[in-house]
Amino acid sequence: MIEITIDNKTVEANEGETVLQAALRNGIEIPHFCYHPCLSIAGNCRVCLVKVDGRPKLMPACNQTVAPNMVVETEAPEVQSARAAVMQFIMLNHPGDCGICDKAGECRVQEYQFKYGMAEPISIEPKHHKKKFNYLSERIVLDNERCILCSRCVRFTREVSKSAQLGIVERGSHSYVARLDAQPFDDPYSDNVLGICPTGALLSREFMYKSRVWYLEPVRSVCTRCARGCSVNVWRRKKHWYVRSLGEEKNITAYRISPLENPEINGRWICNTGFDLHKFMARPRAMAPMMAGNTVTVDEASAEANRLLAGATNPAIILSAHASNEELQAFKEKLSPRVQVYTREDYCPAEGEVVEDDLLIRADKNPNSYSVHAMFGQKAFSAAAGHDVVIVWGDQVDYTSLGNAKIIHLTSYAPEQETRADVLLPISTTFERSGTFCNFEGKTNRFEQVFDKPKLVQHASDLFGRL
Amino acid sequence: MTETRVFFNFDVTADSHTLAAYRQRGGYQALEKVLKGMQPIDVENEVKASGLRGRGGAGFPTGMKWSFVNKQSPVIYLCCNADEGEPGTFKDRWIFENTSHQLIEGMIIASYALKVRHSFIYIRGEFDLPYRRLMEALKEAKEAGLVGEKILGTEFSCDIIVHQGGGAYVCGEESSLLTSIEGFKGYPKNKPPFPAVKGLYQKPTVINNVETLATIPWILANGGATYAAIGTEKCSGTKLFGVSGHVNRPGLFEKPMGYSYKKLIYEDCGGILGGKELKAVIPGGSSTPVLLPSEIETLTMDAEAVQAAGSMLGSGGVIVIAEGTCMVRLLQVLSRFYAHESCGQCTPCREGSAWMNDIITRISRGKGVKGDLERLECITKGIMGNTVCALGDAASMPVNGFLKKFRHEFEYFIEHGRSMYDGRLEI
Ligand SMILES: Cc1cc2nc3c(=O)[nH]c(=O)nc-3n(C[C@H](O)[C@H](O)[C@H](O)COP(=O)(O)O)c2cc1C
Ligand code: SF4
Ligand code: SF4
Ligand code: SF4
Ligand code: FES
Repeated sequence: MIEITIDNKTVEANEGETVLQAALRNGIEIPHFCYHPCLSIAGNCRVCLVKVDGRPKLMPACNQTVAPNMVVETEAPEVQSARAAVMQFIMLNHPGDCGICDKAGECRVQEYQFKYGMAEPISIEPKHHKKKFNYLSERIVLDNERCILCSRCVRFTREVSKSAQLGIVERGSHSYVARLDAQPFDDPYSDNVLGICPTGALLSREFMYKSRVWYLEPVRSVCTRCARGCSVNVWRRKKHWYVRSLGEEKNITAYRISPLENPEINGRWICNTGFDLHKFMARPRAMAPMMAGNTVTVDEASAEANRLLAGATNPAIILSAHASNEELQAFKEKLSPRVQVYTREDYCPAEGEVVEDDLLIRADKNPNSYSVHAMFGQKAFSAAAGHDVVIVWGDQVDYTSLGNAKIIHLTSYAPEQETRADVLLPISTTFERSGTFCNFEGKTNRFEQVFDKPKLVQHASDLFGRL
Repeated sequence: MTETRVFFNFDVTADSHTLAAYRQRGGYQALEKVLKGMQPIDVENEVKASGLRGRGGAGFPTGMKWSFVNKQSPVIYLCCNADEGEPGTFKDRWIFENTSHQLIEGMIIASYALKVRHSFIYIRGEFDLPYRRLMEALKEAKEAGLVGEKILGTEFSCDIIVHQGGGAYVCGEESSLLTSIEGFKGYPKNKPPFPAVKGLYQKPTVINNVETLATIPWILANGGATYAAIGTEKCSGTKLFGVSGHVNRPGLFEKPMGYSYKKLIYEDCGGILGGKELKAVIPGGSSTPVLLPSEIETLTMDAEAVQAAGSMLGSGGVIVIAEGTCMVRLLQVLSRFYAHESCGQCTPCREGSAWMNDIITRISRGKGVKGDLERLECITKGIMGNTVCALGDAASMPVNGFLKKFRHEFEYFIEHGRSMYDGRLEI
């Protein structure tokens, strides 16, 4: 630990760290575009210039290593005017089309222009134009006019995802970000660049024009698509902005998924599968209880399930690796002594999907296998054991593999198969309840409820009390 | 008194560039003397004693630059900066074409002093004959055991690797030169770390200009003190000055530091074309601030004097401008160059250089408006000192210089929509 002074305040800095890092850690804001804590230092945007030890030449705070007793000024008149000049240059050919830009409201160029920019632009030249809708992939569109060439996205693909698919080509004011080869930007982590781009240059095609970000709010959740269990934010409409007449489905729409920083588990990134979590969750739901394909009331369905269980001589359950720790606990207390317990992987890697890599993605495509195995061991169902009633928990199960047993199915999604379960009880998804999962390393991660559950859908943990 | 010459000490003939010719005029004797009788530190001290300053533009003392390198480091690199891109500068090309061996000898001596096993030459991509001459010379030198394994039978080995540039002025900036050799886009790097600490492939690296390195053999042959005696006290030795523009005999001249600009222009170059009046001089390559005739009246060609006059000795490319030249259009040519050559990495230079070019071009098309000049000054203020490398400054200094010295021409152009000097300059 060494002491440095920033704006007359003495702060503690770690040896070897930069002025910018020390300042941010101590809650002092120094504007920065190109600096990102997970990427190498580029030092190209120049908005972080500060005065060091009174020297006339300003230094970029992101590249200035701290030294004992260093004196840093972030608000000196020269610093302010250099910043204003940099903002003037940034805005020079920036289209400023915030009105039709999805980034507006969470855009750093917008934010800094208000905070640090000059009152009036001094340029009277026509703006230089660049390509506006640039196809990068089916997921991402690039607006070269809005790009401020901070190179964050380029460094991300070189240093984090290692696909090196993006680069800056040409030079001078003609420079622009581009795919470096003909194929689309199909990096399995590509969508992370949407979040690190400080401006509206890289945009999600899926989210495009769906909502202004200030109508939305993030809710902490966990990605259920693999055993890494990354922390994510699910973006829902703010209560205050609920649509009250037409288009009420907007109130229960998850608009987008973004990574939520969690140094223990996923750092600041998630994979594209995680970015699609809301689409995974939006598959056709099982909305009402059914018996042999006919809609019934919740009471009728539970009564029938109870009847089946009471009359069973050899009942069994197949647990879901998508169940939360709390649900597993409820099951253990209320039902497990009466049934034979089996486990399974609800989801297996799909065709074409990245099975496993050394960044985040795990081969086990379920979020809570760890707890299932820790509490109940690992035992695959076998039809040969002659069970007469089987409770299936979770989706993606093939009824024909269950032999002649009567089937009680607890599922969130409508099963797409010929045969029908004897009793089907719809249960809530991770978006509709809160709880915890343990990821493949046994690290517990919490998710909060994003939406209310539909009326006829029940929480699995409540069901166990009634069965 | 016959002047001492480090470069112009032989007659250029059809084969004066060959190894045999170079040997005949005493070539590679300094190398022999160094490898067989001196310690690396002695060489460094000799260079320090000579007072030699970098000829690439910044004028940093060469011996001191060498001393910054930690000689205990297992790998050290030497890079010769032969990108020669500054408009008005054409001295390195002459060295390659006529006496490549002198550079090679200088590089091997420097490599010995710096404990370098592999040294590099980054040569401007547009150079054709210079490149061919260099490769011929390297081949001769290798065959003669002057480069490569066990040079001159001693334990010292050093290879020279030649890298051709891709035609970017910015790759003459030392850190982007290294990035370019490493195979990346030639983006300059933020300093610190300085190349002397972390340079090529993250190893300590010394970067010197061609002329700087080609001077080394002479210094070792004749002694640092002898060299220091030439020129002025703080700026020793001779230097190659390339004179271009409106003079009767443009060309390359070797002059001791402290020589008079007036003598150079009026005697050596035979005065201004067509007997016209002198209007202005750009003293050291296009990025150095322009000087008026009154300012060069007594001005001498050494770093301190030129700096005191508000400009820089730079690379020694003297551009002479005759009366009747339109300074607005001249500045437009310069600003277009810098806008074109900005690497585009950092915001102020990328946007600012193009913006200045837009404004100056607009003025030169008769579309200037009131406030343009203040706008330009505001832009240069926003660029200077705020960029990654010195190209931002190089793009701004001419603008400031021209606006300061020839503001009335710009004002006239804006007010009347046309140049004070219509038509082509009649010579
Ligand atoms: C934009 C820019 C271009 C440069 N171009 C050259 C060049 O073409 N040749 C050169 O020798 N030095 C050039 N320099 C200077 C080098 O950065 C460096 O100072 C020089 O090579 C050091 O060598 P010296 O100490 O022998 O002068 C340039 C500098 C800048 C900022
Ligand atoms: S697209 Fe965004 S992240 Fe990439 S360089 Fe441009 S502004 Fe930076
Ligand atoms: S790595 Fe796994 S948990 Fe993380 S976002 Fe991707 S699928 Fe989800
Ligand atoms: S000053 Fe210009 S040339 Fe130098 S790094 Fe910045 S943009 Fe590139
Ligand atoms: S954040 Fe320091 S230069 Fe961009």
